Amino acid sequence: MVTGFESAVKLMGVAKRYADVVAVDYVDLDVKKGEIFGLLGPNGSGKSTLLKMILGLVKPDSGSVNVLGKKAEEDSVAIKAQAGYVPEVPRLYEFLTGIEYLDFTADLYGVGPAEKKQRINEYLEALELKDREGDMISAYSLGMKQKITLISAFVHRPKLLLLDEPLSGLDPRSARIIKDLLRELASKGITTIMSTHVLEIAQAMCDRIAIMYEGRLLAIGNMENLREKARLPGSNLEEIFLTLTGTGDIRDVVEALME
Amino acid sequence: MKWKNVLRLIGVDIKSGRLIRGQKLRRYRESRVIQYVMYGGSCLLGISLGLFVGTFYGGITDPEMKVALLLGAKSFFIATPTLVLTYSLILTMMRQIQGAGIKASIQPPYWLPITWGEHTLAAILANLIGIQLAALIFIVLAISVVSIFLGIVPLAVLTIFALLAIAFLASATTEIFRVLQVRLTGVVYKTSGKAAIWIRFFGSILLFIAFYVVYFFFTSGANFLAIIETFASGQKTVWFIPYLWLGMALFSFVNSQIVETVAFSLGSVAFLSVLFVVAVKLNNRFGLYEPPAIKISIGTYAPKLSIWRKLGFSLSEAAIMRKDFRAFTRRRELMFFFVLPVVIVIMWIMPLARTPYFQALSTFSVLILLIPGALMALMLGSMIIGQEGPSVWHLYSSPVTAESLVKCKYTFVVILSCAVTLASNAFGILIIHLSLRVIFAALIESIFLIVSLSAVSLRAGIKGASFVEIPRPRMIRPIELIINFIICLILAGVILAPLFPYVGTMFGLLNPQPQFYLYIALAISGVISAIVTYGFYRIALKNAEDFLAEAEI
Repeated sequence: MVTGFESAVKLMGVAKRYADVVAVDYVDLDVKKGEIFGLLGPNGSGKSTLLKMILGLVKPDSGSVNVLGKKAEEDSVAIKAQAGYVPEVPRLYEFLTGIEYLDFTADLYGVGPAEKKQRINEYLEALELKDREGDMISAYSLGMKQKITLISAFVHRPKLLLLDEPLSGLDPRSARIIKDLLRELASKGITTIMSTHVLEIAQAMCDRIAIMYEGRLLAIGNMENLREKARLPGSNLEEIFLTLTGTGDIRDVVEALME
Repeated sequence: MKWKNVLRLIGVDIKSGRLIRGQKLRRYRESRVIQYVMYGGSCLLGISLGLFVGTFYGGITDPEMKVALLLGAKSFFIATPTLVLTYSLILTMMRQIQGAGIKASIQPPYWLPITWGEHTLAAILANLIGIQLAALIFIVLAISVVSIFLGIVPLAVLTIFALLAIAFLASATTEIFRVLQVRLTGVVYKTSGKAAIWIRFFGSILLFIAFYVVYFFFTSGANFLAIIETFASGQKTVWFIPYLWLGMALFSFVNSQIVETVAFSLGSVAFLSVLFVVAVKLNNRFGLYEPPAIKISIGTYAPKLSIWRKLGFSLSEAAIMRKDFRAFTRRRELMFFFVLPVVIVIMWIMPLARTPYFQALSTFSVLILLIPGALMALMLGSMIIGQEGPSVWHLYSSPVTAESLVKCKYTFVVILSCAVTLASNAFGILIIHLSLRVIFAALIESIFLIVSLSAVSLRAGIKGASFVEIPRPRMIRPIELIINFIICLILAGVILAPLFPYVGTMFGLLNPQPQFYLYIALAISGVISAIVTYGFYRIALKNAEDFLAEAEI
């Protein structure tokens, strides 16, 4: 739910190259406070790089990044303190137990002992990790690791959530909890920018969606805006996505594979 | 068995050993140079040695000496299988121990159409690649060339077969131990509960130390010839040990005992086959076994005030230090840092202890008090950032400032190195019986070295941090490590320089210095150390700012 018109994240003419590869190609983006914003795009379209630039992990070659009223290149520590981040492939400290890991991340964000104890126990209970929190993370399944990463992103009550494939590996119950939680947080003015390949999730959850392709923003807006852009009235996000990204030759590909 | 599958699996192992990641994580670079230089060098050395010995033999005119040399060569040929067995066992097991901490260890690709026999054979052969193979090439070529000059080609051919078989035997044994060790670890984890983490810690360290003691026992110069003599003459008395049958076969061949030669050779082939079958069966049964999770904390979570917080560190600094302490007691590849000081002492003491000059040289052993702590500071400082591996994104994405990062990492390195230096000083008092005055001076100097070299190395560790974990955690770029080592060596010399006249007096090289000179020298040394520390700490801060400004993830 968008609570106002104040920008939480504003990108202007942002570009990033890695040698010969254009990761982000002069992108302008304005995400409002309390918005759940979806980033879609094929692999290598620049979604993860864009998220990293918002958090100040990657410096843009050109353009400016403003996050929560602060310039990313000047005030990245302050931005990080107010942001929760889930990377695409979260590599955790596997020699720690789940509880040690959450204790560590909460301390990094300066969460006090009483709050830390309450929040961590609540999240562990909610995501059904209560009996396994004392095990070393190395023994966790992919889904359990994802739950731990998500808790660590939520535990310091951030104002901005940057989530790269947040629901990957989660069981249906946990995925539903996270989806509802994000909605609740949005109603309280917490902004979420999430990248996902699951188009149904993006369609159901996001207030607005941006479709990226080869570092460029092809389209941006709510479902109606996207349908107009793709000239596909009444269509779902999958059809819009495939049309806009020019990857709609699915039938031909499948037929070729079956030959 | 499909031999192509075996070759492909070995190829994967070779390739993983050759992979060197570029500066950016997204780029891979493969270097074959190091690999082939080693094998090429072994070929060259082996042929050169063979030619040298052969030419030397050809130049001898004294028939008695010629006979003696021929007998010596035959003894050497007979002893080589057992020697190679010992070395191969040590080296393959060391490789397995080192490999235990590798994240991307090669798991049996059980979902592919590969049999356990093919996997086991590939694992056994791949384990021999590297130094073992280079050593084998060297010995085989040297033996081949020498045998031509000495006219013992049939014996050389048999010896070469024996060497190849014994290397396989050693590697197969290691493979069996590896599978059993994984299974045993599971049992220990299951039964020991929370204590498992400490059992693993001390068990791993003891294992490392035991291996290094054995390794240095065999490799320290004076022992080498004595071992050859013992193996050549002594193996007949322990003929019932199957590992020695290949040596026995050669011994029988030299003494023209054909029946024994055939019997021991066939026995060896049978033993080799049995070992291989056992390895395959064990892999079939436990190859995919993974030890259960270690349950460390039990009960409701309640945060505690850590010792670092009590000492005035911020929440995030204390959290990073606590996490690092856990990393060094739980990650096997980092436990090696605790072994290092002990290994240095062993390296130092073992050759000295066998000489009659041990007592006379004990004054020189004052370095034992200085080196472990300083080396710990050097190694830890240069790798404390890189050991984060791909998990480094936590540091990048959280609100950790450069000041906090350098402060907590530096303190951690200094504290751990000081603990090591205290232990080595205790060793100095108890074992080497140095005077309290020397111990005191060494302790102070050691702390000066630790404080300054930690800052110097941390600077390099941040600048050259490498988060590569494939094929093994690298932690720092090699070039940065070498440069740092040279800088540390020079600066250590500068810090210790004021004490050189005093050391000269101890060795009788200089006229006696007044007693108070030691204290003046220590004070000057302290001032130099403080300047070095301050300067390099500032550079480390600058490097940390650059490091946190752009994530290498």
